[in-house]
Amino acid sequence: MRSTTNTIWAVFGLALILVLPAFAGGQWIKIFTSTTTFAMAAAGAGFLYTRLGMVSLVQVGLMGVGGWVTLRLNHAFNFPFEINLMVAGAVTMFLGNLIALPALRMRGLYLALITLMFAAGLDIVFTAKQFPNGAAGFWGVGTTFAADMRRPLLAQSDAAYLRYTMVWLVIGFVLIELHRRMAPGRAWALIRKSEAAALASGVNVTLYKTWAFGLSGLLAGLGGGLLAGSLGLLDSATFRASESVMLFALVIVGGARFWYGAVIAAVLFRVVPGLLNNWGVDADLSLVIFGAALLHAVMTAPDGLAGQINGAVRALIPGAKSDKKGAKA
Amino acid sequence: MISIENLTVRFGGVVALDHIGAEFSANVSGLIGPNGAGKTTTMNVISGFLDAHNGHVIVEGTDLVKLAPHKRVQWGLRRSFQKEQIANDLTVRENLMAITDHLRGARADKRADLERAAEFAGVTAILDKMGRDLNTFERRLTDVARCVIGHPKMIMFDEPAGGLTPEETERLGDLILGINDLTGAKVLVIDHDVELIERICAETLVLDFGKRVAFGPTSEVLRDPAVQAAYLGIEVEEEHA
Repeated sequence: MRSTTNTIWAVFGLALILVLPAFAGGQWIKIFTSTTTFAMAAAGAGFLYTRLGMVSLVQVGLMGVGGWVTLRLNHAFNFPFEINLMVAGAVTMFLGNLIALPALRMRGLYLALITLMFAAGLDIVFTAKQFPNGAAGFWGVGTTFAADMRRPLLAQSDAAYLRYTMVWLVIGFVLIELHRRMAPGRAWALIRKSEAAALASGVNVTLYKTWAFGLSGLLAGLGGGLLAGSLGLLDSATFRASESVMLFALVIVGGARFWYGAVIAAVLFRVVPGLLNNWGVDADLSLVIFGAALLHAVMTAPDGLAGQINGAVRALIPGAKSDKKGAKA
Repeated sequence: MISIENLTVRFGGVVALDHIGAEFSANVSGLIGPNGAGKTTTMNVISGFLDAHNGHVIVEGTDLVKLAPHKRVQWGLRRSFQKEQIANDLTVRENLMAITDHLRGARADKRADLERAAEFAGVTAILDKMGRDLNTFERRLTDVARCVIGHPKMIMFDEPAGGLTPEETERLGDLILGINDLTGAKVLVIDHDVELIERICAETLVLDFGKRVAFGPTSEVLRDPAVQAAYLGIEVEEEHA
């Protein structure tokens, strides 16, 4: 049954939030935190792809914007972390809306290319201007500066901050799921079926496409802001346009129809290179692994690894009815 | 009363609809013509998917041509497509809710309205079935339910009987005949099935190459030699023989 599977997942998620930060040590706790923030961006790209059939190749770029805004506000004012994070989310939501404008006219490959252009543009700005680190001026970049990044009061330690980030990720998943179950989700399903069908049902296509891109941008911005809070300093190399493309490819590998697909995508994105590093292997080898995984997903697993896990769970738990809808996201 | 006045649509140099005019006063009216006559174009202009070069479509005092497509639905326009447009990843209920979502009204009223539309179309038993699991006829019935939901004023069916068996077509015809009693909406049906048109449509407009060939009571229109020549493929000379 749907509810049984969902309960299992909820318990599993809760256990992970409690246990993982307590046992992960040193460098791994940072890796898991950044994995969680990338999972938020991946969730945004994944829902945009499965619910509307639209490809966004700018998610990591928007994370960079969210991180930039969070750092900028942190060094300029004395607001609490949450305020900075919210403003970052609002800014990327607005940018998402802006990117949606070409989406009203284009679809498929052309739309994907437009989002990639956005990502490339952001890439250039990040490389040229870097991220604020507490120096004076609007861009706030100094060579010897490294001012403090204030963390949320609730989560000062690394372990607590990982837990805090995971709670935000859950909020992100709940937000997507609520949308799916309500009017926007239905409108999006019609838009994906055909815009004519949506128009004939009274759906304001402009509004709902803009809304979807805004939600996806919001999630990326929150992820970027949380990443900034974790590291204190950001580097433009993290937010290259190629990273956005990579994250999208991994969303396909992970399985965009399921919420845990976004988690799998982020784990592949962040943990696999970390593991390879630990084993003394060049982390770039992960690119080869991802390429093979993408081919595998495209050829044999249209719903990605999450789809295969879902199939396996259904086979193992008798009575777990087919969860074709995709439990979440 | 559905009043089409002077409706003209051009695609570049091609005139798809050439000053079409007709006043439908029947509860169910038909629109027929050979392939490429402009039937679907007419429907798309009324839906707002295409811009009319000229002309008006006035229903109950409202000129639909002036409204944005989604506003027409809020006003009370419904339509089905040749290829039904049921979202596969929504249940039948959600497919119906997707229309009431964008209409004004209290939630309880919408729910009652949904139940009533489902009951009328005979889809109550499959309300929780996913769109992808529906067969052709169930999809058609869901389409009918989508059309009668939310107090429509005008409903258009684009080849509703396509792909249905004669028995299913008959049941669909009965449903369409019952729509005006249920909702008070005027219905416009496009179909190739002349038997269906003859049975359910009191008035019919015949188009050919974007021009009006004939308009009037269906039986008279179908006897019109010009219609028989254009549409039924019967030579006019044979009529005189």
